[in-house]
Order: sequence, then structure tokens, then C-alpha cells
Amino acid sequence: MAGNSLVLPIVLWGQRAPTHCISTLLLMDEASMIVTGCHDGQICLWDIAPDLEINPRALLFGHTASITCLSKASASSEKQYIVSASESGEMCLWDVNDGRCIEFTKLACTHTGIQFYQFMVGTQREGRLLCHGHYPEILVVDATSLEVLYSLLSKISPDWISSMTIIKSNRTQEDTVVAVSVTGILKVWIITSEVNRMQDTTPVFEEESKPIYCQNCQSISFCAFTQRSLLVVCSKYWRVRKATIRANYSLLSDKVIVWTEDGQSFIYKLPASCLPASDLFRRDVGKAVENLIPPLLYSVLDRADKQLLICPPVTRFFYGHREFFSNLLIQGDSSGRLCIWSVPDTLEQDCTKGLQATTSISLQEAFDKLTPRPAGIIDQLSLIPNIKEPLKVTASVYIPAHGRLVCGREDGSIVIVPATQTAIVQLLQGEHMLRRGWPPHRTLRGHRNKITCLLYPHQVSSRYDQRYLISGGVDFSVIIWDIFSGEMKHIFCVHGGEITQLLVPPENCSARVQHCICSVASDHSVGLLSLREKKCIMLASRHLFPIQVIKWRPSDDYLVVGCSDGSVYVWQMDTGALDRCVMGITAVEILNACDEALPAAVDSLSHPAVNLKQAMTRRSLAALKNVAHQKLQTLATNLLASEASDKGNLPKYSHNSLMVQAIKTNLTDPDIHVLFFDVEALIIQLLTEEAARPNSALISPENLQKASGGSDKGGSFLTGKRAAVLFQQVKETIKENIKEHLLDDEDEDEESMRQRREDTDPEYRSSKSKPLTLLEYNLTMDTAKLFMSCLHAWGLNSVLDELCLDRLGMLKPHCSVSFGLLSRGGHMSLMLPGYNQPVGKPSYDDMELGRKMSITEGLGKGTYGVSRAVTTQHLLSVISLANTLMSMTNATFIGDHMKKGPTRPPRPATPEMSKMKAPPSTASHAAQGQIKQGRNHFLQNNFVCLLRWSQLAAMHCVMLPDLLGLDKFRPPLLEMLARRWQDRCLEVREAAQALLLAELRRIEQAGRKETIDAWAPYLPQYIDSVISRK
Amino acid sequence: MAAAMVSSAERAVLEEEFKWLLQEEVHAVLKQLQDILKEASHRFALPAGGSEGAAKQENFVLSVAGMDQVKGVLTLQGDALCQADLNLKMPRSNQLLHFTFREDKQWKLQQIQDARNHVNQAIYLLMNRDVNYHFKTGSEVLKLMDAVMLQLSRARNRLTTPATLTLPEIASSGLTKMFSPALPPDILVNFYINLNKLCLTVYQLHVLQPSTTKNFKPAGGSILHNPGAMFEFGNQRYEVSHVHKMECVVPWLNDALVFFTVSLQLCQQLKDKISVFSSYWNYKPY
Repeated sequence: MAGNSLVLPIVLWGQRAPTHCISTLLLMDEASMIVTGCHDGQICLWDIAPDLEINPRALLFGHTASITCLSKASASSEKQYIVSASESGEMCLWDVNDGRCIEFTKLACTHTGIQFYQFMVGTQREGRLLCHGHYPEILVVDATSLEVLYSLLSKISPDWISSMTIIKSNRTQEDTVVAVSVTGILKVWIITSEVNRMQDTTPVFEEESKPIYCQNCQSISFCAFTQRSLLVVCSKYWRVRKATIRANYSLLSDKVIVWTEDGQSFIYKLPASCLPASDLFRRDVGKAVENLIPPLLYSVLDRADKQLLICPPVTRFFYGHREFFSNLLIQGDSSGRLCIWSVPDTLEQDCTKGLQATTSISLQEAFDKLTPRPAGIIDQLSLIPNIKEPLKVTASVYIPAHGRLVCGREDGSIVIVPATQTAIVQLLQGEHMLRRGWPPHRTLRGHRNKITCLLYPHQVSSRYDQRYLISGGVDFSVIIWDIFSGEMKHIFCVHGGEITQLLVPPENCSARVQHCICSVASDHSVGLLSLREKKCIMLASRHLFPIQVIKWRPSDDYLVVGCSDGSVYVWQMDTGALDRCVMGITAVEILNACDEALPAAVDSLSHPAVNLKQAMTRRSLAALKNVAHQKLQTLATNLLASEASDKGNLPKYSHNSLMVQAIKTNLTDPDIHVLFFDVEALIIQLLTEEAARPNSALISPENLQKASGGSDKGGSFLTGKRAAVLFQQVKETIKENIKEHLLDDEDEDEESMRQRREDTDPEYRSSKSKPLTLLEYNLTMDTAKLFMSCLHAWGLNSVLDELCLDRLGMLKPHCSVSFGLLSRGGHMSLMLPGYNQPVGKPSYDDMELGRKMSITEGLGKGTYGVSRAVTTQHLLSVISLANTLMSMTNATFIGDHMKKGPTRPPRPATPEMSKMKAPPSTASHAAQGQIKQGRNHFLQNNFVCLLRWSQLAAMHCVMLPDLLGLDKFRPPLLEMLARRWQDRCLEVREAAQALLLAELRRIEQAGRKETIDAWAPYLPQYIDSVISRK
Repeated sequence: MAAAMVSSAERAVLEEEFKWLLQEEVHAVLKQLQDILKEASHRFALPAGGSEGAAKQENFVLSVAGMDQVKGVLTLQGDALCQADLNLKMPRSNQLLHFTFREDKQWKLQQIQDARNHVNQAIYLLMNRDVNYHFKTGSEVLKLMDAVMLQLSRARNRLTTPATLTLPEIASSGLTKMFSPALPPDILVNFYINLNKLCLTVYQLHVLQPSTTKNFKPAGGSILHNPGAMFEFGNQRYEVSHVHKMECVVPWLNDALVFFTVSLQLCQQLKDKISVFSSYWNYKPY
């Protein structure tokens, strides 16, 4: 998936559901799923049970603008593909089973409607998408590649198509496309199989074009039962009513269902005179007067609660497909609520009593009904007495170098907290639950209202002081903090509006600007705030429109401000003079020129939590690139650089197996935190740390004695001995594992050089010794602990679970963890909390079993029944990590700081250890004796751990399908495993190979045969010819 | 302005003011916007109900100042060019060429049609929220303004940013087939709108021989190609030798652009007024 790396996201949603202002919706075939698109560009998947209970399952990210339309994109039932289009012209093909983005493209024009249609090409059925929108044609797009094949053109007064319907004829091979243009001209195209073969040689013009005199036609729809009448709906069709008619559908042969923009729906029975064999039954503003107003059958009641809506709801009608699914009227509104009415086939005349909604659920309600409530990243630190909801996190930045997450909250305080530990508290059960104020954190208070943005400039460029943290708030101020001391360094009050963005100028600016931060405020002003001089060196204000983008021309000393109306202002940074203000093509050209001059755009990429709408795609790409880049660097350092000096730099890279990214679906929402785990980086870090372990302490017996003499540091003495004893062993392990020559012969040199470096380089030492003056902890092991605990399939093997908890130090999750799946081009799907609620899956088992499942399902094994792609990634991760941990010495997650905890029973080895610690000034021979003893223990302990890890790996690799049962288990995808057969990371490669073999064994001969048959057509042809030639 | 400082009396006043804003001011602005946009829409001379013919025809003379090499007379009817009269004086032979549109053809200026449709959509959005509609929240207004502004900025952008086309795209656009007598293969024409101007570009080409020593580099997409730009079309390589760009101000397009700009500013001002209050409303006491 996402490039080559194996990156798994875990989401912490928080108690507040993301804003989901529904703009369009779609019911999948067989009523298994509802898909909704929202104004902020996300797509939500809702599972629907046969009893019409619905449960939100996942949110798909990737579009940068409002979703305009959704359509199914495959005919077969096993491949559930949909296509989505957004206001900015993007089109995405999604697999809604697991939320993978299969294909994406961007056109210059906006689609407002897409319909799926199957063409016959020879004997093959090919899926096509017919698209219309803000252009005068109907585009025919390939449903798998999203390429525009050709278009249906108009000869007579071409104009935008406002709605379209495809009429399938049973009698002839020809199907017709009927469309109405915005000026009210009805057009008919005939599409045959020949049309498809013509491709783009000759233009396809309409067969018929006829004005029907209706302005602003909203929708047309064809009666599928009689195949004779076409219903045309215009806005303000009923002049009697104030509400405008939005769209409709003919229901049965003689009934019509119409809905309005304020969410009401009406069912009318057509008078008999309208039914007979007139070719087109159409009604519009002019003709309505002549017709009798058909009697109203039903007024389908409006939404259950009269909650305030900020924009018109979306309503769609879907015919029932199976016997037990009736016709469904589905409505989605701006509060993320879905209402379903089941419309019976037979309706009696009954105007007084409306039809009651069968189901109604909003995203927030789905969040609320969960116990425990979905966790936010620092919920335990944000609880305030008397207020039910924790304080919302409004801005955040992750500092990978320290493993710290900085969160700004709505009350103006900023919390700095170790990211893995706070995530462990939120996701996993353990003794930390008993501790108050855990994990250790620091709170900065200074802002008087909501924090809107945070920036850690040192992360973007090392020219900034690493102590500085910058925050901006609703109270118009920008504050510089010292994160080590917690001190407030300076307050800037230069803006006249909320701070919306904080940016870092590029590298090659003038020396003065280099030490500035660029702040953008909602009063449409931009400031350059010098951190060194502690003053604002330039304020560019009085832009007429909100600032959308900041770009730089360092060579010309220009600051280029792009506004939301498309105008561009060019400011001189030195003098603060406005150089130019342009619009139109020139503006576009200036912005583009900035990009060319500076390929690595430093503007919003470096800024973590702006508006998701603007930056989602770019940002997540950047985040991934960042991770990938760092990983490569680490890899390079490990494999290539044998110089000892490079070892000193290792800690710098060693934290990036985890990236925390804050995202907002809407600008007004609190932050959602996504933890990106990079499996490969994590493996490398674990091995690197394993390699570095003996180095961190003292090795030779002399040193050992010296250390034991220094009685004050018992901890390091212990590790020193441990290291000495296991030195040889470690060395071998390392040689096997990372195949690097770090310790081969020059290990002593290396050690001494490291020592020297530590002595001579005060900066290096200071950076090591006081990362945040908070409690020290092992970031890598914590990350691995969090990750493995979330991935392990709890509740399947109670003995193994017990072992994992007690010996390996893994922790059970509170409830099922929301994972995500990254796919191409920065597209991402994130599971919503409670995605595996029993209602979600249309279970053919009785409810009894469903209830039993729900009890155990809280323990995380749900992820292996989600989808095949998810299973593949999770199994790969868990097995490769278990293998890595297996190869490490004494790898458990029972960490040092946790050992001191109040409830943890002492490990068997601990008494021995403490005894060893007790006489601090032992003679060397005594020490040696103890070393031997310790060694035995150590080896034994190590062996036990090894065994446990291998058990864990074996369970996930082989036993999972049997334990889970085939109906709850989605097997891994063979092609994804095969792609990793030669993965660059040895552990991932081994895991993939083992999994692939296990899976091939599981599917048995029949399955293998099927696989071969499925892939045979794609095998290169030349193999055959070579054989035949021989 | 820290919201923490707001006293209860001040808060009451603020709430009163916000109520006034939602109930009175918003409708006043919406009315004003509607009036402006309707005026803009009239400029596009949309024939009502699809009956053509109603739109009046306007003639525009396009020429390059001080040069009589190229001259064009274009007739614009609504969003279509219904007649064109092109006079070209070839630089070497001094031969005078004359082209007109074929009787049965007219050339649609898609930019004008798109702009007109976007304005109509904006008007439609505004009409749904007339005086009788009761706005209850600020976010409702913001959402409406966002939708209207999107349409308006699209409308304006269509006029201010013409499509960037590559030379093969121009050559295959069908515009070449519009003329009688047919255009010679070494001449390309392109019409577009740039801001308030109707623009005509005439490219004179010469064929690059396959044996030529010049290294061939096809030009990318551009609004106006410069002499020397090369492209390949129909297995033949060409190079642009002369470019003639002529333009003429269309007064009603200028009006429309002004209307767009004014209404965009009105929308933004209303949004700013609403969002000033938002910082007070989501404040929660610590």
C-alpha cells in the first residue's frame, strides 16, 4: 500500500464525532451499506442490517472539497466499488469493503452527477460511468481506470446538463440516455454497443433535442415499471408551497414521491388520466395548472427531532431489491444524521398521519452509545469536575525527536505529554489506570482562550532554538514558550483577529527573516514575528479576503499572499511595502512561479493542523514521505555507515517509528489524532537499540569494578553487568539481524569515541540528558508495546493471553481499537469507534451468538474480520514484530518505570537482581560469580520470552483462521503478501513468506487452483512461446 | 478582545446585536446581493426559456493598433460567436486572405456560458432564502455564503483565467473547420475571453522538415503561444512563425466582472461580521 512501507494508522477519535454535513448519499446494492459524502470531503460508510439498524463503520479521507456525487462503480456483488466526485474535480474509486482507494484522478471540471452503466464490448461487459456537471457534454468514463473515453455531445444549444437518467430497454439492444439541460432542453442519446467501439473517432450527437420550457430542472426520473412515463421535476413546481421541490422519483406505476429542500417528502397518487399511454408524462410549471392536482397520499414525516440544520438535507429513494427489503427513503442531514423510512408497497389514503421513520441515527449518537466512550488523546488529563466532556484539543503538534505531543486546548492551556504513554492510557488496560495524573505531563498556561495553532520551529529547520514552541490563539496573541522550562518567553499582540496559521519561512531568506515566524490571522493579516528580536518586523494587513496560501520568493525578498478570491498580494519583506496586487492569470502565474523556485514548498506542508479540507492530501503525503525519508536515512545509517561518529547521531532518527498527526474534518472540530506506526522503522529501531545496548554502559572488567564502586548508580551498574555478560551473545544476534559491522572489531574505538563525543560536545550531551526534564522512558519499547497490544488477537487463546499479560508485558485494549488503512496518493480510511458493533454485520446467526460476540469482541480480535487488506497488514506487522522481539535478548514490555509501580508483582528474576545490587562494593571475583549466576537466569528468562513470542507469532500465522472461524476471519490477500516476498526489510520479508505459505496451505488444493486460474491471464505470454519453440 | 473579559451586561448586548445581525442585516445583504447578481445575469442576455433569437447581436472590431496585417470583425450573440470576418495579410507574399464563418455554424464561448450558469446557480441559492426565511444560527449563514461565494468565484475565474491549451489542441478544436473558405493548414485561430476582453489569436505556422537540424521540443499548454513554439499534429511538425493577438473590450463583460467583485466582497463582509461573534459563542468558562 502507501508506497512500499508498512504503515498502520490507529485513530483516537475523542468523544465528539467529526462534523459530517451530508451532501450526497448512496445505498449499495442489496441494501448492505449506505455511503454518504459530506461538505468537508469525507465519505462515511454505514453498515445496515436487515432490520434497518445502521451503524457507522469507517470514514474515508482523500477529497479536498465537498463531495458532489457518489455512484456505484462495479456490477458484481463481490467487488463493492464506488466512485466519488468532489467540487474541485477530483474523482476517486474506492473499495468500500475495506476503504482502499483503488484509483483517483482530477479533472478541471466539476461533476454533479454520475451514473454507472454497463456496456457490451463484444461479449464482455464493461463498466462505464456517465458523468455530467459544469460542462456541456456527458462524459463517458471507464469505471476501472477513470479515464475519459469519449463524450456525448449536443448539436443544438449545448449547455450544462442538470440531470440525466438511463433508460434500459427490454425490447431492443439500444439503451437511451435522457438528459435535461439547465436551460430546459430535453435531450436523448441512444447508446448501443457500437458507440463504445467507435471511441473518439466521431462525436456522438443527440438523437433528439426538444425544449420543455422548464427553468432550473432539478431531477428527472423514469418509471421503471411501465417504461412509459418520465417525471420531470423543477424547483417551485408547486407554487402553493413555499418550499421548493428538490428531487423526486416515481415510486410505483401510479405513485410519485416528491421531497423538498426542508426535508419533507410527499407521496402522490397520480390521477388515472395521467397514466395512459402518453409517451412522456411530464409536468412542469406551465402545465401543472391544467392538470388536476393529484391527491396527496402521505406526508412522510419530517426528521424525528426538529434539530437545527445549517443546510438542506439530502433525500434519496431506493427501490427494494429483495423480498424482505422494502422500498427505502433515506435522508441525510447536516448534523450527520441518517433517517430511513421504509415505504410500503400498498398505501392507503391517509393524509393526517405521516409515515414514521424506521431508523434514525447520527454520527454523534453512534459515538455516545458506546461504552467506554471513544477516547481522545489526552482525555484523562482534560477532565474537569462538573463537566461531562473533557476539554477539547484544538491544536496539536508532535515532536518526534522527543516523542512528545503538544496539545493546545479550548481553555487556552497547552499540555506536553509523552505520546506513546498517553496513547497507552487511552487504549490499553493496565495499572496506569490507577494512577492520577499519569502520564507525567507539563501544562503551559498563558492564552486566555482557545489555542488555534501550534508550531515547533526547530522540527522544520534546525536554525531555530530547540527550546522554542510557538502557539497562537483565539485571543489574537502569539506566544513563545520554552518547552524545557515551561516559561513564557514573549507575547506578540499584533493581529486583530484569531490566529489561523503559523508558518516557517524557507531556508534562503534574509538573515533577519530566517529567525522569524509567519503568522496568519482571521482579520486577513500576515505578520513576520522575529523570535530573536522579539518583535514584529512586518505586518501585511488589509487583505480583502481570507488568506489561503502564503508563498515565498526569498531571492526577491518577496512574501506572496494568495487570498481566497484568487487575488495575489506581493509584499516586500524588508520594507513591508506592497509591491503588487494582481488577479486572474497573472496571479496564478505568480503563485506557480513560487512553486518552481522552491520545489519543497515550506508553506502549509510544515504546518500540521490547519484545515484538513485544504491540506489533507498534501499533508498526509508529506507525513508519509517524511516517515519514509527518515526510515531510509536510518536504514542507510545502519547498513552503510560504519564510522563510529555516525553512531552518535542515531538517537536523532530513532523516534520516528511513530508519527502522531492531528487532523480536523472541519475547521471547527476538535483535533482527531492519528498514530502512524511504521513497522519497518520500528523493527530497525528495536534492532538498533539492541545493538546499542552494551554500548550504553561500561564493558571491560575494570570499568565494571569502577562502576560497582560508584554506588550511587545502581541501575547502570546492573545494565553494565548485564551487558558484559551478554556481550558476545548480543554481538552474534546483531550480526545475524542487521548485518551491520558496527561492533565487529572496532567496538572499543567506537565506544571510546562515543564517550569522547559525549564529553566534548556539550550540545550533544545536553540534548541527550534533558529532553524535556520529564520522566525518562524507552520510547521504542513503549511504541512496540502499544502497537503489539493493539494488534494481538485477544480472547482466542486464554493461556497465551495470560502469558502475554504477565510475561511479555502486553496490555489488553479497553475496547476495539480503531485502525486505519492507507492507500494510494495519501488516501486513507479510518475505522470509526464501534465499527464492529454486532448490528453492523448482517449476521445470519441468531442474535444470541451476536450478543456473545459483542462481549468478547471488545478485545480486539475484530480487526481480523474487517477486510482482507486490513488482515494482511495487521498479520504482517504482528508477525514481523514478534520475530524481531524474539531475536532480541530478554525482550518484554515490562518496563523499568512500570516495575516500580504499586501493583506489579515482582518478576522472578528481580529478587536475584536486587541481591546483586545490595552489596555495592563487591570484590571482582564475587562479582564474576554472580555474573555467571545472573547469566543463567538471563538465558533462561530470555529463552522463555523467545518461546512466548514464537507462540504469539505462530498463533497469528497459522492458528487464527481455525480459532476465529471462517465466517469471522477475512484471510490475507495473497497478492499483497507476494509483493512483500522480497521486501527490503528482512523481518517483514520473512513474515510475508511465512504467511503466504500458511495461507496457501490453508486454502488447500482447490483454493490454490482457483488462485492460479485467476492469475493465469496476467502472466507474461512469452513463457508459452518459449516453451512451444522448444 | 478576550472573551473572558466580557461581562454579562456586555454579553446581553452582544447577543442582541447578533440577533439583529441574523434577522435584519443578513436579509438586507442578501437582497442587495440578489439585486446585483440579477443585474449581472441580465448582462449575459440570457434568452428566456431557451428561445434563441432573443439575444441581440453585437459587433466587435478586433485589430492590432498601428498594423493592418490582421483584422477581425466578430459578432457576439449571447454566449456564441455567430459571425466572424477575418482578414489576413500574409507577410511574405502580401497576399490578402479573407475568411468568414460558415452560415450554418456558430462558435460557443464556453467561458461565457459557464460564467452565466454559475451566476444563475448563485441566484438560485439566494432565492431559496428570501425575506421570509428565518436564520437561526450563524453557521447557517456562513454555509450559504460559502456556497454562493464558490459559485461567484467560479464565475469570475472562468472569465479571468482562460483555458491553457496546447497547440495540437487548438489545431484539433474544430474551430479550423468553421471557416469558409477553409483555413489553410498553416494558420490556426483561437478565440477566448480574458477578463473583459474578447480575444482572437492567429498563429501562422511553418512546417518543420524532418531533416531539420533544429531540435524539436513540443510546447506545453499556454493561453498565448510565442513565435518559435513547436508542436506535432497529424504526423507533421510545425513551428509558430508569427502570432497576432487582437482584443476588444466587451462592455457588458466588464460590468459583469465588477458585479461579481462587488458581490464577493459583500459576501465576505457578511461572513466576517458573523464570525466575529463566533469567538464569543464557543467560549466555555474554564
